[in-house]
Amino acid sequence: MTVRPMKVDGRRLRSERTKQLIIEAYLALAQDLSPRVPTAAEIAARAGYSVRSIFERFPDILALQVAAVDYCFAQVSALAPPRGAEGDRASRIEAHVRTRAQTCERWVRLWHSLVVNQGDSPELKARVRSARDSVTERIELMFAPEFATMPHDERRRTLIVLEALTDVESWERMREYFGLSVDEACAVWIQTIDRLLPRNPDEAA
Amino acid sequence: MSWIDPSARHPASAKNIRVDGRRLRSERTKQLIVEAYLALIRENPQTPVPTAAEIAKRAGYSVRSIFERFPDLHNLRVAAADYALAHAAALAPARDVDGDRATRIRSHVETRAGTCERGLSLWRAMLFNIDENDELKMRIKVARDRTIERMELMYRPELAALAEAERRSVLIALEAITDIESWARLRDMYGLSFAEGCATWIAAIDRILPATPEGGARA
Repeated sequence: MTVRPMKVDGRRLRSERTKQLIIEAYLALAQDLSPRVPTAAEIAARAGYSVRSIFERFPDILALQVAAVDYCFAQVSALAPPRGAEGDRASRIEAHVRTRAQTCERWVRLWHSLVVNQGDSPELKARVRSARDSVTERIELMFAPEFATMPHDERRRTLIVLEALTDVESWERMREYFGLSVDEACAVWIQTIDRLLPRNPDEAA
Repeated sequence: MSWIDPSARHPASAKNIRVDGRRLRSERTKQLIVEAYLALIRENPQTPVPTAAEIAKRAGYSVRSIFERFPDLHNLRVAAADYALAHAAALAPARDVDGDRATRIRSHVETRAGTCERGLSLWRAMLFNIDENDELKMRIKVARDRTIERMELMYRPELAALAEAERRSVLIALEAITDIESWARLRDMYGLSFAEGCATWIAAIDRILPATPEGGARA
């Protein structure tokens, strides 16, 4: 069988590349200026394009924000896969906390900007919700043995509390307001999760 | 010896008390402007920066009246934060400090939940404007410090039993769980009622706190 050469549309590729560079410029600025949303002029200057180039690719700044958030979430998923879900209780708590701490440390300023600026945008609100749902799903996966022993209502309440405890803003407060190091902050989460989760009777540790 | 201040025996006549009516009116106007700002952010939590024109319209004054009393909108926001913090403190005194464990947890949670329920919109407005103004940052710190002091007071018997590092860790965890945004999620994202939200916090605090020492307080 002969493979027909793919038609590569160079102009489209360049446009996609420009779009990507604009998203990256937006993210770099949003990180620096958080929680203020950078202006189109600032983004254009940072990306090395004109303001017109931005609005040729994104109808408005909100559309750019949404694209940037999607790009970030894809990165978070790629960089923080679930690890150690099969381990014993202590190692699952440790693995979950370390992974979550790494994500929070990396994205705290952008997350703060997103939460503060979501306003009444259904697109941004949906993404905040989706991010929180992912955190909850991860908690359910990592602590499945403990949750399996709990009645439905107690399980739901514990999930809600664990999500609040390991929220990005909770991490931000531990680091900035309480002045904890990464290890100290992880220790707080580990100790608290251990207290919140019931003991699995089949597991000694 | 008299305990009464001699000047108090003969209260000054109305003539002697100089009430500066103009100043009083100006203070009252200032107060109404702050209340108009707070009402606007409560009604439109998605718009945490109402304009001077919106605030003036709501208060029933001119935009000029606002800027005669506040040099800029940051100053108005700071005044509103002070007013709301004082209001929150007045509406949420510590209760049942000497009660048994369950009573103290319930009392703390219900008081905190009430504060969160009332203060969310202003809290979000403060966070939104925080980087423009260090004074707001200071007030956010004051609010957090108060939350922690309250927990130290309410859970003194349990916290006293812990070593310093563990005590700090427990306080930090309790602060995270009873954060105002955590309450907002219980209500908005998870759709819990006020009572269900309180029950969630009560169960979590009861698990996080160590056992109440015998004799320290009624368990």
